[in-house]
Formats: sequence, C-alpha cells, structure tokens
Amino acid sequence: MTMRSFFIGLALAIAVALIGYEANRFVAYLIYSVAISAIGALSLNLVIGFCGQITFAQGALVGVGAYAGGILGNAGWGGGLSLLGAGVFGALVSMLVGLPALRLRGLYFAISTLAAQFILSYLFKILVPLTNGVSGLVVKQLSLFGRPVGNDQEYAMICVTLLFLSWAFIGRVMQTNIGRAFLVVRESELVARGMGIDVSQTKLKAFLLSGFFAGLCGGLFAFTSRLANPEAFEIGLSVDQTAMIIVGGLGSLAGSVVGAAFVTLLPEAIQRLGELLPSADLISAFREMAFGILIVLFLLLEPRGLVALARRLGARREVASSSAVRSETGVVESGVAVSVQNRREL
Amino acid sequence: MLALQLAIAGVATGSIYALIALGIVLIYKCSGVVNFAQGAYAMLGAYITYFLLRLGLPSIVSVLVGMVLMALVGMVTERLILRRMLKAQIVSVMMVTLGLLIFLKAVCLAIWGPDQIAFPQIFPSGAIDFAGIFITYNYIAAFVLASALSIGFLLFYRFTSLGLMQRCAADNSRAALAIGIHVSNQVSIAWATSAALAGLGGTLLASLGGLSLGISDIGLIAFPVIVVGGLDSLAGALIAGFLLGILEAFTEGILTPNLEEFLRSVSNIQSVGALQQVIPYALLVLMLLLRPQGIFGRRGAERV
Repeated sequence: MTMRSFFIGLALAIAVALIGYEANRFVAYLIYSVAISAIGALSLNLVIGFCGQITFAQGALVGVGAYAGGILGNAGWGGGLSLLGAGVFGALVSMLVGLPALRLRGLYFAISTLAAQFILSYLFKILVPLTNGVSGLVVKQLSLFGRPVGNDQEYAMICVTLLFLSWAFIGRVMQTNIGRAFLVVRESELVARGMGIDVSQTKLKAFLLSGFFAGLCGGLFAFTSRLANPEAFEIGLSVDQTAMIIVGGLGSLAGSVVGAAFVTLLPEAIQRLGELLPSADLISAFREMAFGILIVLFLLLEPRGLVALARRLGARREVASSSAVRSETGVVESGVAVSVQNRREL
Repeated sequence: MLALQLAIAGVATGSIYALIALGIVLIYKCSGVVNFAQGAYAMLGAYITYFLLRLGLPSIVSVLVGMVLMALVGMVTERLILRRMLKAQIVSVMMVTLGLLIFLKAVCLAIWGPDQIAFPQIFPSGAIDFAGIFITYNYIAAFVLASALSIGFLLFYRFTSLGLMQRCAADNSRAALAIGIHVSNQVSIAWATSAALAGLGGTLLASLGGLSLGISDIGLIAFPVIVVGGLDSLAGALIAGFLLGILEAFTEGILTPNLEEFLRSVSNIQSVGALQQVIPYALLVLMLLLRPQGIFGRRGAERV
C-alpha cells in the first residue's frame, strides 16, 4: 500500500463513518453490513488471491469468530477483548484448516477445506453447551470502553474503523517479506523453495493471518446481529465471500471492499425491484437467480473483477492524454508504468 | 438382523451416490473440471421427470425423456460456459459451477416452490420378504437401475469405440487430436452423459425420499465418494459409492444411537445430529492425508 492509497482510504473511511453516524438506521445497517463482509473478503483474498490456496471453509471460520466473540462477550469481557478473542480463535482454527495445505495442493486442498466446512458447521449444531445448538446463541450487547454500544449508527462507525485498520494492516503486511513470500508461493512453490522461502511456514502464516480477520468479521457479525446461529455459517457464506473477491478482483485489497459492497448491496436492490413480484418465494428465487448469473457472467466476461475493469478504463484515459510524450520514450515509460502498476496492486 | 436391514438400505442409496459420483469423475477425467453443479443436475432431472409424469406420460418414457433433456442441459452448459473457461484458474472454474448450482436451484425454486413434493409412484408398490426383512420395490428398483446403469456405462467406456475415443481424449488430448479425435466433441459428450446419469440419480432419489430442492445436496455428499475412490477412477467411484452408502446407513442405525446414549451419560449433549452426513467427510480428510490418490486412483493424480 502506498502512502497515497493509505490517505485516500483514510479519507474515504472517515467520510463513510461520518455518513454512517449521521444516517438513518437503514443506511447505517447497510454500511456496517458492507464493512463486516469486506473484512471477511479481505481475509479470504489474503488466502486465495495472494497466497493461492483455494479454501471453502471461510463461512465456518467466520462462524468460529462469531461464537468465540459471543461467548466471551456473554462471559462479561469488554468489547475490544471479545473481538480480539474472536480473531485469535479464528486464527487458530484457520491454521488447523490450513494444515492439509502442507501436503495437498489446488483441487485436493480445496476439497479438504470443503470437508472442514461441513465438519465445523456440524460441530456448531451439536456442541450445545457452547453454542446452544440449532436455536442459536443470543449475544449480549457489545460494550466498548465500559459503555454499551447503543445504536446502528455507532456500529457503522466501529465497523468502518475496523475495516480501515484491517485493510491498512493487510496492505502493510503485503509490503513486507512475509507478504512477498505469499505471492511467490502463489506463483510457484518450486521457485519459492529455490529462493529460500519456507513454503509450509508461509502457507500457515497466511492461514493464521486470514483466520484472524475472518474471526474478527464473525465477532462483529455476532455483536451486530446479536445472534450466532449455525445456519448463517454454512457453505453458502463461503460461496458468498468467494463471489465477493471474484467480483471485486482476486489479489486486490480494494477489490475485496468493492466486491463486498457489490455482493452485499445487490440483494437489497433486487429485493426492492422484486417487491413487484407476487410471492416471497419468487423474490428470493429471483434474487438467487441474479446472484448465480452474476457469478457466471463475471467469470466469463471480466474474470479479474471490477478493479481490473476500472483500471482498464483509467488506463485508456491516461494513454489518450499522454500518447504524445510516450511515443518518444515509450520503452522506459512503459517499464515504469508496469512497476507502478505492480505497486498499486498491493 | 438390523445390520442386514441397514446394509440393504445402504447399498440402495450407495448405488445412487455411485451414479452421481461417476458423472463427476467422468467430467473431471475428460476436462479437468470439478463440477459442483452435479447435484443441481440431479435435482433438475428429478423435477423434469416429475413434470413429465404429471403430464400423464408413462414412467419409462418420462424417465428416458428426462435423461435426454438432462443430456442437453449438460451439453449446453459445456458449450456455453465451460468451453470459454479453458484457460481460467481452478478457483474460477470451481466458482462458475457453483454459480450454476445457485442459478439452477433458484430456477427450480421459482417454478416448483420450496416445499417437498410427494413423488408419483414410478415403480410398483409393495415389498418382498427376504429372510424376514421387508424390502420395498422402490429400493430394489433404485438399486438395480443405478447399478445396472453404472456398470453398463463402465462396460461402454471400456469396450465400445466411442468409449475408446472418450478414454483417449481424457488421457491425452493432444495425442487424441493428432489421431483425428474431435476432442471438444468428446468433452461435450462426457458432460451430456454425466448430466443424464445425474438426472436419473436424482429421479431415483426422489422416488425414495420425496422431491425437494434438497436433492441438490447430493452433489456435495458425493465428494467423499470421489476422493475415497480416487478422483480419476470410474470403477473406484462405483465401489466407494456402495461403501459410503453402507457406512452412512450403519452410522445412522447403530453408531448414532449408541453414541448418543454414551454422551447423555457423560455430558449434557442430547443429540449428535446428522452424524451420518459428517462421517464421510472425516473419512475424506483422512484419505486425503494418508493416500491422496484414493483407493483406486493413479499416483500422478496427486498434483503435488
């Protein structure tokens, strides 16, 4: 993350947080829903987009965070500590889910995470003493700095702040050796080994880091909805989150946020349109149909996501305005352009 | 006696698992795509057959026409979507089939609604008395049809010239091209075949337990079958299908009641829920860690 994108992000976050604070309940609800999904999408993009490990267990990891946060909050821990605890539990379970990656690759690893997803969501249902089973765990109000968080507007501010911090943190990590190692492991494990990167350790680090933010996302989810129930954390959530990073752009932090906003807001928009339809079943069918078509179309037409689309449009404008200069020093310029582009991707 | 009863029920559902898994393996072998939408094909096939039956067509005609229509659906998916994604990343290919699953489920929801529908009787009702156990004709018919079709398909794949071309295209597409096999047609045929098999599987499943959107879950239930049998082994999918069907029946009938009794005595967990749905996944993880190529797969399939 460059200084410039850091400040742009900061300004955006402050603006959105202020809008959220002033807005009515519904807008505040939309803002924190998007922010929470975006934290989850960032965490998933870290593993799939940056480190190249395909996982379908994201929904269950968010669930682990939700239950951990809820249980700690109900036990009387402060809000900050509960959310931290949610992240830590998410990270630990994520490491377990990632362990098979040391032996398996690609498709086979993806199938093993599918198994992890099913086993974890099964555990949510049967560990009744901890999770209260299928009826779900009712979560107490989040309290921050000894004061309960009262309304959706405050939740919107908190979630946007945490989203910005997560984004800045992950962006920073991607500029360190650890982050670069993720990228090399994604491109080729053989090359990574040749460069002296410990591939197993790098993968586990990616899972640890990603799991922390998945857990945080889950904790926020539990506190804002005041309920952690197993149905919310099934394979469908994993698919939703994967759709977010594909729509936004694999391996792009900004893309995670944009994709999360798109995938979260689209059903709301369709719901509005769909209210013309006669029955609730038809509305939900219509919404799911649009979601399915959207995934397929994106993968066919713009597999690199909204961010790549925006970048291409931007580049076309830039080329038009500077074509005269570029014609003289074309080679050098395009070299610089490439390196700038690479830096921007992080 | 209970054990025998369970084994028979397990073999019947297992044969349907085998049918679905066979389709996934066929597609994987031929085009390298893992099709998460296989369960959606099963569901769609069941609904289409139901629609045809309601029109008043005889059972056999409905089932056959249903399979033909499903073959078309499979071929269209391959032509329209998967063929354009030959160079895409694995995660994109997986997601596109998941998107298809969501879409097809929504289509069925829009047309037939979310409630479970009683499936018309396609086999004669009644039961036979086998050594003191009653087996309904439904189960026998499902078992016989699913196994006959699976084995028939394996023989076709092994002994006919079209089967040989299929194997050739799956084994080495460049070499297949060089000797004049139209590889992309072969891939289309593979998709059509496996969608038709899945459609029949869905119909049989509906005839055993009623018709609902939940039939599409079998696509995910089939994954342990495929991994245990070996992702690139058709015979493995067949055998593992039976094994896991029996394992599931025994878990439900014997392990679950005993385990619940034990847990109630030591803790306040009252129920272990649908343990039979999770055991296969635990087995899958073990299998992947100990022998990633499955019981019958080839070592090269490991991709490590």
